[in-house]
Amino acid sequence: MIALAIETTTDRLSVAGRVDGGEGRTAARALDGARRHAAALIPLIDEVLSELGTTLPAVTDIAIADGPGSFTGLRVGASTVKALVRTHRQIRVSAASTLMVRAAGAGAPHGAVVLVVTSALRGELYAATYLVDLPNTVTTIKAPTLATPESLHAQRPDLLVADAPEKLVERLADQFQVPLVRGAASLPMAKALLSLVAVPGGAVPIEELDDWEPSYGRPAEAQAKWEAAHGRALPDTPSDRG
Amino acid sequence: MATRRILGIETSCDETSAAVLRLEDGRPILDSLVILSQDVHRIFGGVVPELASREHLRTIGPVVDRALAEAGIGATQLDGIAVTAGPGLVGALLVGLMYGKGLAYGLGRPLIGIHHHEGHLFAPTLEDPRLAPPFVALLVSGGHTLLLDVEAWGRYRLLGQTQDDAAGEAFDKVGTLLGLSYPAGAAIERLAATGTPGRFTFPRPMLKQGWHFSFSGLKTAVLRAVRASDDLERDRADIARDFQDAAIDVLVEKTARATLELGRDTAVLAGGVACNRALAQALSARLGSAARVATASPRLNTDNAAMIAAAGAWRLGLGERSEFTLEPFDSGPLPGLLRD
Repeated sequence: MIALAIETTTDRLSVAGRVDGGEGRTAARALDGARRHAAALIPLIDEVLSELGTTLPAVTDIAIADGPGSFTGLRVGASTVKALVRTHRQIRVSAASTLMVRAAGAGAPHGAVVLVVTSALRGELYAATYLVDLPNTVTTIKAPTLATPESLHAQRPDLLVADAPEKLVERLADQFQVPLVRGAASLPMAKALLSLVAVPGGAVPIEELDDWEPSYGRPAEAQAKWEAAHGRALPDTPSDRG
Repeated sequence: MATRRILGIETSCDETSAAVLRLEDGRPILDSLVILSQDVHRIFGGVVPELASREHLRTIGPVVDRALAEAGIGATQLDGIAVTAGPGLVGALLVGLMYGKGLAYGLGRPLIGIHHHEGHLFAPTLEDPRLAPPFVALLVSGGHTLLLDVEAWGRYRLLGQTQDDAAGEAFDKVGTLLGLSYPAGAAIERLAATGTPGRFTFPRPMLKQGWHFSFSGLKTAVLRAVRASDDLERDRADIARDFQDAAIDVLVEKTARATLELGRDTAVLAGGVACNRALAQALSARLGSAARVATASPRLNTDNAAMIAAAGAWRLGLGERSEFTLEPFDSGPLPGLLRD
């Protein structure tokens, strides 16, 4: 297996690759700055493949973080992957939630329950809980969802991964009294995404890539306002297409 | 016989479009053109950028696949990828641009980023292969109003541009005032055809002054007329007629004057507003035998990928290539723009 992982959902863009067989080889690149994703993604992919001594036609798997995260970042990654696979149909594509990627990269001990919390703006959070036992399995205990700080009381995790406003992170850390991963260490990285490829419970294969779109987490603001005002789904949007 | 095939991709606003242009010894033949318009924006009376971006991502793959299928080729038979880099909605542009980069990288083919306005200038050549510079071009759409002297491909002298609203924007805003759905250009033209001219006297801003344009005063005058009307149902067609006449008078006067003063034998109308048949007829009448008017069919005048492929074919033919670091831009001058 030659796998490539692409993470574009935060200010940090990262790409990682792995060639299995023998001792196996990995390569990774990362770059900070949300506005640089569009310019840097293909060159980073090329660098990673070059370091691995391979090329795109030899790649068997591409994994992509599918949100929630930056809307623009999600589309930079998704449109690129759709096109790359259009040129090499043998490539399997899988996707993992950005929150799962954060959990996988947090250095959790085997069998740890990891609560991942990220800012969803407007005073809300995205939260998910995973039982992480890499490289064997990942179990989703609670799938990513919009949450309020008050709704997170239910279960005490073994590890808290938090990328949210400072006060809120401190409040959650006080509340749970468990090891905390925060700041840069909490960011989702392609190398962690790579560790979820072909792992039970990890990245999920995408069968119909043309139909696939990222998990934005929220509708567009104009759509949300329209639906709130009219009490029904906006026509010609996925929520209305069933 | 040398055959080259260029894939064009256009996602600058609310149309997802792909086209395959075949060049037979340099002669362009449009093998396919797929344009998918996003209807959702009608509800909002204008384009919602985030919704446009999401829809582009949903449809870009199928649209490109259909363009290839209609051209009867596989992606590996392409010789180059031309994609709109701007100006436009950056989020929307990003989808097409990243898709184009991915295709170019995956196929090992050259990539060329195209300025949307340059694409519009090339559109008429797809149906009129003899059309070549020098000519004067009026580029009128919902986002732009530019008067250009096209001295040669890649050498564009800016003569004038709008100082406020674009012409198409004025049509859309007046359409909203008259209760027409977005986009309103075609509906205003149909309505105006049933109206009586001369009932309303709207201003012709900057008609004789230079080559720049202004449409906000005209728009405001229409707003006042609508508010003053005691029976808008009765007045709607007449207001549409006099608004259209005023807008066309300004566009025609400046384009014709530029064509005649510069001694060009052709005036090109390009962009979505160029679909307005009254505009082309008025310009033809004004120019008489002094110059001909060239404009593409409506499908090629509105945003489409065929025009991007045509401009891309020309630039790729010069040996130009874009790097994979190419980024989208929301505004910026035409490449090769000359300013006096």
